[in-house]
Amino acid sequence: MYRPLLLLAELTHRCPLHCPYCSNPPAGPGGGELSTSEWARVLGEAARMGVLHVGFSGGEPLQRADLAELAAAARAGGLYSNLITSAIGLDLHRAQELKAAGLDSIQISFQSDEHALADRIAGANAHARKLEAARLVRELGFPLTVNVVLHRGNIERVAQLVSLAETLGAERLELAHTQYYGWAFRNRAALLPTRAQIAQAAQAVTAARQRLAGQLEILFVMPDYYSERPKPCMNGWGQRFLTVNPAGDVLPCPTAGEITGLRFDNVRTQPLSWIWSESEAFNRFRGTEWMPLPCRDCQFREVDFGGCRCQAALIAGRAEVTDPACSLSPYRAELTRFVESIRDPGPEVWPAEAGDVHVTPRRNPPESIESPRKTTKT
Amino acid sequence: MKAIDHQTRPALARGVRLATDATTGEPLLLFPEGVLYLSATAHEIAARCDGRGTIAAIVSSLAAEYEVEALALERDVLDCLDELRRRKLLVFSP
Repeated sequence: MYRPLLLLAELTHRCPLHCPYCSNPPAGPGGGELSTSEWARVLGEAARMGVLHVGFSGGEPLQRADLAELAAAARAGGLYSNLITSAIGLDLHRAQELKAAGLDSIQISFQSDEHALADRIAGANAHARKLEAARLVRELGFPLTVNVVLHRGNIERVAQLVSLAETLGAERLELAHTQYYGWAFRNRAALLPTRAQIAQAAQAVTAARQRLAGQLEILFVMPDYYSERPKPCMNGWGQRFLTVNPAGDVLPCPTAGEITGLRFDNVRTQPLSWIWSESEAFNRFRGTEWMPLPCRDCQFREVDFGGCRCQAALIAGRAEVTDPACSLSPYRAELTRFVESIRDPGPEVWPAEAGDVHVTPRRNPPESIESPRKTTKT
Repeated sequence: MKAIDHQTRPALARGVRLATDATTGEPLLLFPEGVLYLSATAHEIAARCDGRGTIAAIVSSLAAEYEVEALALERDVLDCLDELRRRKLLVFSP
């Protein structure tokens, strides 16, 4: 039986930023947010199942006033905790509170190295506050990962993004290409870089890795729309990874809500271990039994696991077919036509303010519910 | 490979935590985005990397624990420390 190693705890889908590349579902998670005690119980259950790492994510996890209590609960269970944050709301008081609670590491997202562009992408005055928060994170001795989601509007700044991570004293830099789910899928015509831009970015990464070997670890994720082989999504469905969304639904991957007809069980009504091993959602695409042709006979079936189910659902309209990013997929030609239609309008007009490319900034879920306040704890 | 000075004091790098696998009882090091399972020997060594004891002191402490000559295990300890440093899980301070 597979054992989960990583829990992504999506504490809320509320966020002060409006990045058009957000992969959260525009409809929101539905249902009220889990309480402090419900999250503490989930973290304990996860630790007993063998989970080693928890990522506190969102939305913006700092929107939860009880974040430090949850970090303490993770620590009590022996979990290694990472805060995945925009850093908006990370002031000295909260950073100290998180340190005292035993939070292990912090990952801050940046939209660009360049102030005006960064704030334009985020749809908020965020960049200066992120710089200040990153300084605090270092001062308090947290390991720092800088994360930048790449897209057509910032991909030409890879060298400068590396300099930003160096200046901030980060240990790791994640240059992760936009994942086309949620808001990002709806905005993909404005977000997808050209092939030339990606080649240029890859060169800049290679040069930076040589220069900074042993000093800064650089992760570079290419968009699978341009690759021949699909990504080994989640390293296999229901094998290593689980997501608990703000309302307590447990998902095999953060974007599995894109798959219509897949039903998710909830930590309010079922034990996490039962959901992991027995639930319909976790077993639907586990292993290789479910695979259609050409996956079933493919030599890579246990390398890439048929690729991404959510991408199959979004592009082919059917979650159970080969990932359309795979060169063997019958849907690949359609995806390639889209990819080849991408033209660079130039960074000065991104996102296109006029013309036929429309960008929808992320909005907060319609049924946002205030997170439980500390004072209501019993 | 840079020679290791026996008078330096190894410590777990920032954000690295020594822990135990809750389901198997195995010792491991946890760090951002990763985990390293430790052999029993590596565990004994890592547990002594507290930033206070020198490498020489760690070697003698292990020699006393296992009732062997320090020279007999020095090479293994140095190799282990160097491997952990190469993976950026340890830092050596003067």
